[in-house]
Amino acid sequence: MEAPRKQAQAALAFRKRLKPDNAILATVRKIADSAKSYKPQTQSLADLNLPNACKEVVDLSCASVMAEIEKTIINIARSILGGNGFGYSVPSRSSANQLYVQELDRIVLKDKASFRPFANMASVRKTTITTRILQLVHQLCKKQIHVTKRDLFYTDVKLFQEQGQSDSVLDDVSCMLGCTRSSLNVVASEKGVVVGRLVFVEDGDRIDCTKMGVGGKAIPPNIDKVKDMESDALFILLVEKDAAFMRLAEDRFYNRFPCVIITAKGQPDVATRLFLKKMKTDLKLPVLGLVDSDPYGLKILSVYMSGSKNMSYDSSNLTTPDIKWLGVRPSDLNKYKIPEQCRLPMTDQDIKTGKDLLEEDFIKKDPNWHKELEVMVKTKEKAEIQALSSFGFQYLSEVYLPMKLQERDWI
Amino acid sequence: MASEKERATPSRKSKASKSKDSILKQKSPAEFFSENKNIAGFDNPGKSLYTTVRELVENALDSAESIAKLPVIEVTIEEISKSKFNSMIGLLDRERLDEELYGDYETEKAREKRLAKEAREQEKQAKAAAAGKKVKDSNAVKLGKGRGEALFYKVTCKDNGRGMPNDDIPNMLGRVLSGTKYGLKQTRGKFGLGAKMALIWSKMSTGLPIDIWSATRGQSFISYCRLDINIHKNVPNVHIHEKRSNEEGWHGAEIQVTIEGNWTTYRSKIINYMRQMAVITPYAQFLFRFVAATPDKNISIRFARRTNVMPPAPAETKYHPSAVDLLLIKRLIAETLKQNLLQFLQHEFTSISKFYAERLIGEMGPEFTPKMPVKSLTAQQLVRIHQLFRQAKFGEPTGECLSPAGEYNLRLGIMKELHPDMVATYQGSVQVFEGHPFLVEAGLSLGGRDVKPGLNIFRFANRIPLLFEQGGDVVTRTATKRINWNSYKINQVQDKIGVFVSIVSTKIPFKGTGKEYIGDDIKEIASAVKSAIQQCCIQLKSKIVRQQQAHDRQQRKRNLSKYIPDVSRAIYGVLMEMADGQKSKKVKYDDDADDLLKKVALHQITESTFIQKLGQHVEQVDAEMALEYATQSGMVDTAREPIYLRTLESDYKFALELHNPVCVMKLFSDF
Repeated sequence: MEAPRKQAQAALAFRKRLKPDNAILATVRKIADSAKSYKPQTQSLADLNLPNACKEVVDLSCASVMAEIEKTIINIARSILGGNGFGYSVPSRSSANQLYVQELDRIVLKDKASFRPFANMASVRKTTITTRILQLVHQLCKKQIHVTKRDLFYTDVKLFQEQGQSDSVLDDVSCMLGCTRSSLNVVASEKGVVVGRLVFVEDGDRIDCTKMGVGGKAIPPNIDKVKDMESDALFILLVEKDAAFMRLAEDRFYNRFPCVIITAKGQPDVATRLFLKKMKTDLKLPVLGLVDSDPYGLKILSVYMSGSKNMSYDSSNLTTPDIKWLGVRPSDLNKYKIPEQCRLPMTDQDIKTGKDLLEEDFIKKDPNWHKELEVMVKTKEKAEIQALSSFGFQYLSEVYLPMKLQERDWI
Repeated sequence: MASEKERATPSRKSKASKSKDSILKQKSPAEFFSENKNIAGFDNPGKSLYTTVRELVENALDSAESIAKLPVIEVTIEEISKSKFNSMIGLLDRERLDEELYGDYETEKAREKRLAKEAREQEKQAKAAAAGKKVKDSNAVKLGKGRGEALFYKVTCKDNGRGMPNDDIPNMLGRVLSGTKYGLKQTRGKFGLGAKMALIWSKMSTGLPIDIWSATRGQSFISYCRLDINIHKNVPNVHIHEKRSNEEGWHGAEIQVTIEGNWTTYRSKIINYMRQMAVITPYAQFLFRFVAATPDKNISIRFARRTNVMPPAPAETKYHPSAVDLLLIKRLIAETLKQNLLQFLQHEFTSISKFYAERLIGEMGPEFTPKMPVKSLTAQQLVRIHQLFRQAKFGEPTGECLSPAGEYNLRLGIMKELHPDMVATYQGSVQVFEGHPFLVEAGLSLGGRDVKPGLNIFRFANRIPLLFEQGGDVVTRTATKRINWNSYKINQVQDKIGVFVSIVSTKIPFKGTGKEYIGDDIKEIASAVKSAIQQCCIQLKSKIVRQQQAHDRQQRKRNLSKYIPDVSRAIYGVLMEMADGQKSKKVKYDDDADDLLKKVALHQITESTFIQKLGQHVEQVDAEMALEYATQSGMVDTAREPIYLRTLESDYKFALELHNPVCVMKLFSDF
């Protein structure tokens, strides 16, 4: 009984070490200023002269997408009429075809492509679905409307059978046409939320994210309609989970320390990544990541930073390099005296994922990150953000985060 | 027959205890089994009927095989109504006077309930009939079967076997444990009770004697004998024993026994038993008949002979030193004709050579000499020999004494009874468990008539089917748990898989009182079963793969064509939009496209143009791939399978002989 209580007291002792908010703000302002000088990544793939050719996509206007589709359709129509059947040459999105580029700090797609002929048992389905999706996207672009992936699936359930099939072909199509998925006018349903010192215009409406209650503003699936971002925040707080986001929003953390809080509720979707990227480029704010202390927390950070393998063809538009890992870091568990009962033993699967991550380029490039991950794999302990609630529900917003900011404790 | 008394442990036990307490009654072997009839498979009337049939059938098969005659066996079960039964035993049918005395008396309340239910039922049926559905007449069935009444059956089994010598008949059937199966030999019988247990059961349930007709080969008469058994004294009680004329020169035995049974509940078991027996014994011909009280329920099934190849009769063998116990050593010494210890060891056991016997005797101690008379060994000396047998190392017994069904017969049996799409068989090598050699054969079938999807397991021990307690059996466990069917392209849930495993041994290590399954705890047997099944799987896998390829080839065109309309509509859809755009001069296209779009606008190219062109393309690709496939696999669509020709049953006249390099064909002249 004694030991845990002592531990709790020690943890609460941190509260006493907190300086007044003004002092903390001063430290934060310093780093915010240094971020102002941040120059968005100007280097592009073409500048690098990589040994292997890479495939990248760009944002295209509706008209250009239509033109691309029409070109493709005319070609296959001619091929069919010539009696040669048809097929598509689709860039491979398998992990063998991915490449991490150190200079860009993100994953890109190599140029390997596979030909999917219609008259082949293995590829006839995908080829048919691709043709149908091309037709549907053509219609969308012509009418200049947006639909969700779910809508798209329901336009021909009989052919698509399950949404996974139409979704994956949709990615193939954007790869094939060389445009981003948003250019196809197909969006994912909204998942991410944002709250805090941010004002922007969405499709003509002015949105003030400080007046969004505790739920926050849903991140619009269509980034094209977001304009004129303004903010007096000092940093962007990227939160892995809904629960922590709720806590911070309800405690109006952004009013105590001016910031923008954003979450994608787990694995980030395209819209959230685009929104974060846009904030970073437009507002030039430092991004601090608050994720669970487990391999998946790191994975999520990696997706924001270097992109996912599935969407690596579009990594240039989706990634936000230079995110600082604020917490909860494996070393924090002892530093902040997280009680034993709040730490969980890692499962075999966790440990395996952790060990695999140690081999990933994006971890290796930063010795500090590598060290932290090594600590995790060695202690075989993980903890969620919620573990901090063991000292009281508001410990996160009232002690842990201010302490972190005061100490500039991020890597 | 000293040995028998020794083996009949129950009687020995009771004798021993008698000296202590004279109130205890002596129990004859027959009494012991009548009181413990469940261990011999006579748990309840239904099972008793089943066991009676199987004991008679197995005896008949043994009898025919012992004289190397292809078995022809007829089994008849005749249902006997209560009144017929009463007249058989000379009891008059009595009308019930006091209805309420009987267990099935219907009280007024129950009657109302039943009538109401029947009315509802009728209403339902009328409705269903009005809707044009077929109605099962369930009421008739219910009324036909008397409530709570014992059911009686007359079981007859006739074979073409060795027959029994006239004078031995009473003792062979009317005395428990007076069987002929006591050597060490692969035998069908499990207890050596056979027909005798059926006789005890008939005595217990109906009190009717059994009838036996029998003739040995070349015998000019048929012995007819009617007898029952005196259970207390364990002696036959002969009613009639006479010789009758044998004009047809018949030989074999026919046994008829009237017992209580239950056909309804054990019908499927009995028919399954006959069917599986036909699988493992394709060289026999079975005729099974059920004669019901009402002729519409009669059943007659004929399991035809498919081959003349009969496995050799199992040879009698000597015991392996590691398989004997003290009692058995004593018995062997009592029976042996050899004089001294050396000869006894050398000749009464397998795997002991003269040299080895000398070494063993040297090891036994100074009081043992090779020349000492074997019958003079003391009890202590026997224990010493027994201990040495346990500890010493011996060569393994050979499997020459075993008589497996053979891959040929197993395959034929499976094909004739199941008509599967594919079948594979495998015979393992002889292995040893506790001094007894055993051999595992396996068959695997896919598809077939009356086969349920999933695993259908058929177990055989010493060439008789095992039907009960399947769950714990080594074959079931192996097939369900230790075989990765997927890796052989077999779907354990959807495919109709028949797993046939036949184990033969001089001693099958049965588990449980009913001797209905072989335990899963014997490593040697479990691994032999697994490897036999796997060998079959490997054989089938290549066939399955080839068949799937052939199947894919047939399906390819259909599967590809299925998508043509979707694709054509989508392409044409986009082209139409483009043509519309062009018409309104919104968009400009290059010349080639322009040309194409004009044709679309003029309806020279339509959706059906694409359908037609794609159809042609698919056809062309299909033909190319078919050609490629054919050159690869040598023009054979399915795997090559050996065929088995059945020999002709009787003489035919042949006319022409057609010669070719492979075979000669003879044409029948009288067709």
